[in-house]
Amino acid sequence: MTLSDLNSDGAHETHGLPSAQAARAVDLVRSYGSGDTEVRALDGISVEFARGAFTAVMGPSGSGKSTLMHCMAGLDVPTSGQTFVGDSEIGTLGEGGQTQMRRDRIGFIFQSFNLVPTLSAAENITLPRDLAGKKVDGAWFDFLVDQIGIKDRLKHRPAEMSGGQQQRVACARALISRPELIFADEPTGNLDSNASGEMLAFLRRSVTEFHQSIVMVTHDARGAAFADRVVFLADGALVGELSEPTADSVLEQMKQLGA
Amino acid sequence: MWRITVKGLLAHKLRLALTSLAIVLGVTFVTGTLVLTDTLHNTFTSLFGQVYQNVDYQIRGTAAFSSNAAAGAVRKPISESILPAILAVPGVAVAEGGVTGSAQFIAANGKAVTTGGAPMIGMSFAADQRLSSLPLVSGKPPSTSTQVEVDEGTARKYHFSVGDNVRIVLSGSPQTFTLCGIVRFGTADNLAGATIAAFDLPTAQQLFHKPGQFDIIDVITTPGADKTAVARGIAKVLPAGAEVVSGQTVAGEESSAINQSLGLFSTALIVFALISLFVGGFTIFNTFSITIGQRTRELALLRIVGASRRQVFGSVLLEALLLGIVASLVGLGLGVLMANGLTQLLNAFGITLPPGSLVFKSSTVLAALSVGVGVTVISAISPAWRAVKIPPMAALTTHQGRREHSLARRLITGGVISAAGIILLAIGLSQPAIQLVGLGAVAIFIAVGILAPVIARPVSSVLGRPLAQILGVSGRLGRENSMRSPRRTAQTSAALMVGLALVSTMAVFAASLSKSTASTVNEAVSADYIITAAATSVPGGGLSVGATDAVAKVPGVSRVSNIYSGQFKIRQSVAVLRSVASSDLSSAVILQMSAGVAAKSLADGGLLIDTTTANSQHLVVGSVVPVTFAETGPTTMRIGGIFKPNALLGSYVAGSGFFHTHFAPNTLPGAALLTTSTGATAPTTASIKAGLKSYPNLTVQTRAEYVKAAQAQVNQLLGLVYALLALAILIALIGIANTLILSVYERTREIGLLRAVGMRRRQVRAMIGSEAVILSVFGALIGIVVGTGLGAALASSLKQQGITDIAVPFTSLVVFLVLAALLGLGAASWPARRAARLNVIEAIATE
Repeated sequence: MTLSDLNSDGAHETHGLPSAQAARAVDLVRSYGSGDTEVRALDGISVEFARGAFTAVMGPSGSGKSTLMHCMAGLDVPTSGQTFVGDSEIGTLGEGGQTQMRRDRIGFIFQSFNLVPTLSAAENITLPRDLAGKKVDGAWFDFLVDQIGIKDRLKHRPAEMSGGQQQRVACARALISRPELIFADEPTGNLDSNASGEMLAFLRRSVTEFHQSIVMVTHDARGAAFADRVVFLADGALVGELSEPTADSVLEQMKQLGA
Repeated sequence: MWRITVKGLLAHKLRLALTSLAIVLGVTFVTGTLVLTDTLHNTFTSLFGQVYQNVDYQIRGTAAFSSNAAAGAVRKPISESILPAILAVPGVAVAEGGVTGSAQFIAANGKAVTTGGAPMIGMSFAADQRLSSLPLVSGKPPSTSTQVEVDEGTARKYHFSVGDNVRIVLSGSPQTFTLCGIVRFGTADNLAGATIAAFDLPTAQQLFHKPGQFDIIDVITTPGADKTAVARGIAKVLPAGAEVVSGQTVAGEESSAINQSLGLFSTALIVFALISLFVGGFTIFNTFSITIGQRTRELALLRIVGASRRQVFGSVLLEALLLGIVASLVGLGLGVLMANGLTQLLNAFGITLPPGSLVFKSSTVLAALSVGVGVTVISAISPAWRAVKIPPMAALTTHQGRREHSLARRLITGGVISAAGIILLAIGLSQPAIQLVGLGAVAIFIAVGILAPVIARPVSSVLGRPLAQILGVSGRLGRENSMRSPRRTAQTSAALMVGLALVSTMAVFAASLSKSTASTVNEAVSADYIITAAATSVPGGGLSVGATDAVAKVPGVSRVSNIYSGQFKIRQSVAVLRSVASSDLSSAVILQMSAGVAAKSLADGGLLIDTTTANSQHLVVGSVVPVTFAETGPTTMRIGGIFKPNALLGSYVAGSGFFHTHFAPNTLPGAALLTTSTGATAPTTASIKAGLKSYPNLTVQTRAEYVKAAQAQVNQLLGLVYALLALAILIALIGIANTLILSVYERTREIGLLRAVGMRRRQVRAMIGSEAVILSVFGALIGIVVGTGLGAALASSLKQQGITDIAVPFTSLVVFLVLAALLGLGAASWPARRAARLNVIEAIATE
């Protein structure tokens, strides 16, 4: 079985005609406090994330990277502006719709504490499907497990796995629903360089081989080099971008931005 | 350290509030009970003091039994012929005789008025208002043999007004009187629920069968007279068998008699308050255990920066102390409100209290504060000890795993304590010594609390399985969470365990008692019908004169067996002696003899005793015992036989011939048994009721109805006990809610993650709810098992007292289990809402 066989039934089977963008933000503002103490984490940002592409979001601490991701995933509520996943405007979905969207159309990978400690690796992977009360595609599950190399660890709980293994389980969980978009927030932040490399290679392959769309927030120029495109944020605004980045070109760009 | 503790407490206001609620409720109950008791005590003391304020001396018959000298003692009346001699004593200004008896009103609907145990007083109305305990509110004093006064409370309750004709049961069928006035008792419109009917003196003497006699003579001395000399003067002219006592003595005796019976009531309330506090202690213990687990790093950090072990221990205990003080003070305040509410409740039940403010003694403050603070601090000792053992290194390691006590140690400790508890319980039950029983039960509960973590994981797993199946991933997560820390699961459910153990104990005990009632009655009575007076609490009250003759004439009634009862003194104690005619044996009454021959003994004037009495007093057939009767004085009786415990006849039985020679000739039978030619049939019942139509105060029951009524009484009492235990259950549920809130706080990130990957709020609630249901069913299950054991032990220890069957009310127990699950779900509702409303971003933000 190859990746393309598995992907033949379509990554977005339930959501009709795909738009060109996996997600986009329009004039997004997110501010905290008011008056003199107002802090604008996002200052009218507009950005698009292409479907089937691996986009890295970079910027110094406090540039608004995480806030952008949270707003686009429906975890945070923007002060003004719009965010879309596919053609759905998140702001109009309501609590229940947003939850459903996160469950069925978005995957998440966090820096740490990605897994539910009481559930085994296998249960963690199928969690979004179980929450939705939907059947797990057995062949897809087997394939993912095979790819991340934890076949012999499926019954283990997170505490019994290494950090790298835990992150790979989190990847498999993000992929199990074949979401339209995966948000990865510093997914390699807690990993050693070996584990980081494996992790990033796996994300890269999931984009290349079955057109998964991924948005990854990162600090690491070497990590960003795995992406198709890098967007740079500073002070809540888009300040530059790079296509086909390499570690060197990313570092160069960051130097220019004074980060 | 002080500042850290206080800041820590204030930082967790919600936890503070929930934890202290357990103590607040317990202390409220304690305070409320104490304030109420003191208030009632004060009320009755001042009421009687005021009623007797003008009575300098009272002359009365000496008590027949010295061991029971206070109010309620059996006293022979004195002859009214001594009155002139008393009036002639120098210094006596007024002397007036009075008699008392019992009188039962018939309400307008034709039913006899009952008081639920309070006396139905009949008495003479004192002509001299200074001596009267009954000031007139309206109308006139009684002046003819057809006039009566009624107390204001009864008049209001039954809508009697001046000028009405009221029917009153005295010794025979009801007599009609004209209501000529309404009175109070002192300043109260009612004497603690009793009814009062007052007649003029000659009428009262005749009605109560005391012609030419007085029960008491009240005396007022002339102003300035030397009272002691007057008393000595009176004593000189008194015949044998009469005594003179001061008015204050009488007031003291009467108020202490009422206070004694109220004391029983308040003791019962205090017991339930202490149970609630005990359950609250479990909650405190659990909360402190969890929070110290959560604060491991903080406490370790304190150790690193130089806090000593003593300071850590002290800071935890200080936290408990502050918590206890605040909670107890709040409880104290609420307790006063509760006492106020309880007096209103008593009012609603017809026990109208005279106006007066609540009595709030400093001893109440002391008691409430010491139990509240005591329970809190004691419960925190073990968690504080655990805090001390946290190594400073714990601040640096990421893994916060707690070392659970070794299984062996847990099993040994639990085993030893439970063995001690069982031994205490066994000794307590065989003695019987109620304190030992309580102590044993407490030890067993603590032991079960220690042992429960051992089985918490497997049991939660089994209990959670259906939830996981029904609710899917939410149920599975709830189940996993309850299995995560067996100790926390066990400790949280321990409080509910205690509550349900007590509820189940009572359920099993009551079911056994109910079931036994049927067999004990059927083993004691062979007659078809039992006739009793609606209220027989009045000494000398009983079936009406003429009633047994009337019923004997009813067609189908083949035999009427009168059962008499009266007080006598045997050896050192006052007891009830019952009598049956030897000819009534077998046909109406069953006496199963274990020694001696019943019929012969009853005919010979011998005394029959039951096996319990024979064993405890070491008596055998042929023993001769000293006895004293109020009428005839001391004599001896020979034990003629020993019978197996009998529900109807009690411990001591004599022949009717013997009984009538030693008790007043006008003594009425306390009950009558009817044997019929038809057995108990509806037509026979109807004709018996028709035959007794003019005796509305009598109740006719078939044997089956009699059993049912007795069982209904048991169930009524059980209902009351359940209501009182509800407080303990409530506290246990607060404990569950508290633990869940702490767990939700602890798992903030985890819940945030679940929400981020798509868990709906409803699913979050279902997850927390599942955990709560598992916790509460676990506690309920263990409680029910332990309680069933305790109830069975309690019931079987009373085998001699007539609880012959042990019954386990399975339906009730299943209902308890289901209720526990539902209540657990209710307790989870708030924590579940909090969890569902967690801000996802804050939850998943890296720490």
